[in-house]
Amino acid sequence: MIIIKPKTEFVVTVEAELTPDLAEKDVGEIKKFKVYYGKDVVELGELFEITKEGDDKKLVLDGDFSRVKWVGCRMSDGEIVVKGSVGANCGAYMAGGKIVIEGDADDWLGAEMKDGEIVVKGDAANLVGCAYYGDATGMSGGKITIEGNAGNYIGEKMAGGEIEIKGNAGDFIGTEMKGGTIVIHGNCGFVGGDMKAGEIKIGGEFELMPTFVKQEDAWVGDVNVKGEGVVRRL
Amino acid sequence: MHHALHIKNGIVIDPKNGVKAEKMDIFVKDGKIVEESEVKGEDVKVIDASNKLVVAGGVDMHAHIAGSKINTGRTMRPEEMRVVRNIANKFRAAVGRVLLTSPAIGYEYAKMGYTSSFEAAQPPIGAMHTHEELDAIPMIDKAALPVFGNWHFVFKYVEAKDIEKLKTFIAWALERTKGFGVKVVNPGGVEAWMYGGNVTSLDDQVPGFNVTPREIITSLIKAVEELKLNHSVHLHCNRLGVPGNYETTIETIKLAGGFSNDARQVLHVTHVQFNAYAGDSWRTVSSGAEEIAKTMNSMDNVTIDMGQPIFGHATAMTGDAPFQFTLHKLTGARWSNKDSEVEGGAGIVPLVYLPKNPVHALQWAIGLELGLLIDSDKVVLTTDYPNGGPFTEYPYVMAMLMSKKMREGELEKVSPFVQKATNLPAIDTEKTLEEIIHMTRSLPARILGLPQKGHLGVGADADIAIYDLNPLEIDTSNDFEKVYKAFKTAEYTIKSGRILAKNGELVDECWGKTYWVDATGRVDMEAIKPDLEDYFKYYSVELQNYGVEEEWLKKPERIVI
Ligand SMILES: [Zn+2]
Repeated sequence: MIIIKPKTEFVVTVEAELTPDLAEKDVGEIKKFKVYYGKDVVELGELFEITKEGDDKKLVLDGDFSRVKWVGCRMSDGEIVVKGSVGANCGAYMAGGKIVIEGDADDWLGAEMKDGEIVVKGDAANLVGCAYYGDATGMSGGKITIEGNAGNYIGEKMAGGEIEIKGNAGDFIGTEMKGGTIVIHGNCGFVGGDMKAGEIKIGGEFELMPTFVKQEDAWVGDVNVKGEGVVRRL
Repeated sequence: MHHALHIKNGIVIDPKNGVKAEKMDIFVKDGKIVEESEVKGEDVKVIDASNKLVVAGGVDMHAHIAGSKINTGRTMRPEEMRVVRNIANKFRAAVGRVLLTSPAIGYEYAKMGYTSSFEAAQPPIGAMHTHEELDAIPMIDKAALPVFGNWHFVFKYVEAKDIEKLKTFIAWALERTKGFGVKVVNPGGVEAWMYGGNVTSLDDQVPGFNVTPREIITSLIKAVEELKLNHSVHLHCNRLGVPGNYETTIETIKLAGGFSNDARQVLHVTHVQFNAYAGDSWRTVSSGAEEIAKTMNSMDNVTIDMGQPIFGHATAMTGDAPFQFTLHKLTGARWSNKDSEVEGGAGIVPLVYLPKNPVHALQWAIGLELGLLIDSDKVVLTTDYPNGGPFTEYPYVMAMLMSKKMREGELEKVSPFVQKATNLPAIDTEKTLEEIIHMTRSLPARILGLPQKGHLGVGADADIAIYDLNPLEIDTSNDFEKVYKAFKTAEYTIKSGRILAKNGELVDECWGKTYWVDATGRVDMEAIKPDLEDYFKYYSVELQNYGVEEEWLKKPERIVI
């Protein structure tokens, strides 16, 4: 297990693709891991204190990581625990393993993730499990759980896996969704625009596009794109 | 900084001056190639080029590197912008996968030993934008070709058979747009697209005008030849991307028959691969390259460029708006349509060329067939960047044209459809290194009418590339990997006497010239004034606000004829 602690408050954002693979290296090597601090390439050890405890494949990010982007990007196994909040693109392209964020998560949480699990104890910002701009497919597997609220654009172009939001969410839920499930326990805004397949379940209030057809216990659409997506009450 | 160079003991290939792999020294002073005596007593930097190939800097005569099309492409393809090529430091930030940002375009050409590139389709009303972008491309000399083939003025003068006024209009337009020559894209077809249609032959009537594509092309050739512009009419044929179009291409090439010019071709037909399809549908499609090659080889006043597709990502962007819509319908990919008022239009569609896709493999094979079957003095190597793919893969095309063995290896990876639909597998031709140097340097320079480019004779611009390749020893048929690698990264790229790149690393930055052709002295500009005033009623800008002033450009180079 590796414990990583910020040495200072960051003036600009840090881009650090920290994955549990780091835990397999020795401390000297980890300190030399290259990250961006603004536009400068620096070594991890210049910005963070690093200590090693035991051999399990786990990172503990201890402190405020809200300005640290790309944590867990492309990780395929092991575990990351963020003791505070985390910056944008956390768990992007993730293929396996687990990330637990005890604080809040910024935009693009689990973007285009393929497998694995992300748990956010606080809130998540926008674009959870979405496709990056220009790409055709968002989250395609795995699970994202958000204990608090989430922002706009949840699961855009999502093709598989599950996003569960225990609180409320914003607008544009499951836009252009092609598969998978989104569960929102609270309220949210517009749902299902250009949805082709998959399922959205909502506990509270929501606004549905007029292009969904009412069926027995659900709405099916978006008919605009000959979609067969399902929106229903939890 | 040294202002004189001595490139020592290199093996020079300089087709224009008849130098075939000879060990010789090249001397440079004040950005030009000079005699040895000129650098005596100067502070000379010596570059040891022993056993290396020394050639003129590459000249790309047809690429889309600036203007609203490429910029819209960048906007609609954010996924293209995620490859970081350079972090801002001594040099500019540069990103892009195939669609590059402006600095990346200059840097990538420089790394490869190319020193000039021509934007091949400039919407005239967008001239300011195009020049702003050209001015943001470092390292290379450049120019832009405004499009004329669907401009209402052109239709009007062709309809009236008034060649004098057409000449005057061309001179006016080149001056206003700071353009280099006359580009024609699907003549008449883009106007038909304004009504949702297209033209299907050289003799279709253009909606609203009593003219045909045939008349537009021949009138423009006549006007350009009488004006004696540096470059000939540069034509993107009608019926691009349609099975059976090779017949129209051949008919179009033959239109040049009635014209002649001692210095160069009278018609350049561009990215012919996209216009070389036989058959009558995508089911029966096959290669028309052999027939086109026969026609080309029998004529002495027409040149072409390949438009070679490269497997991988590309973005189709042409002034051929109806074709772009057809492509969008065919692939289902994103589409942007552009309308440039009474001048023409354009479209943009993302594309991936897949080796196992029969049509893509066919296109790939046709490009190579054209490059191999047509006389090396008539065919230029291009990918019609970014339509056929990245210009950074020119070394792949160069190596392929020189090695049958390499082609055999590549043929195994592509759809077997090419075996029956093309003749590529049976072609034994292997171009020589000298021919390839000609097709990438001296030939495009001659076609463009730039006597100072594409060669290493005394007086030429000191645009020089040195490659880690000994032409006296290399076996281009078998060592194709070495050939590819050598051309991919120049050991030295020298532009106007300055060393810009060394072994793929940028070492210096310069801002090249923007050439434009001023033919206003050859015509009576008053003759079209009332017509301009009348027609500008239909424009969104006033006549006095139309165009680009020379002082707005970073480094304009006016060529007066
Ligand atoms: Zn083109």
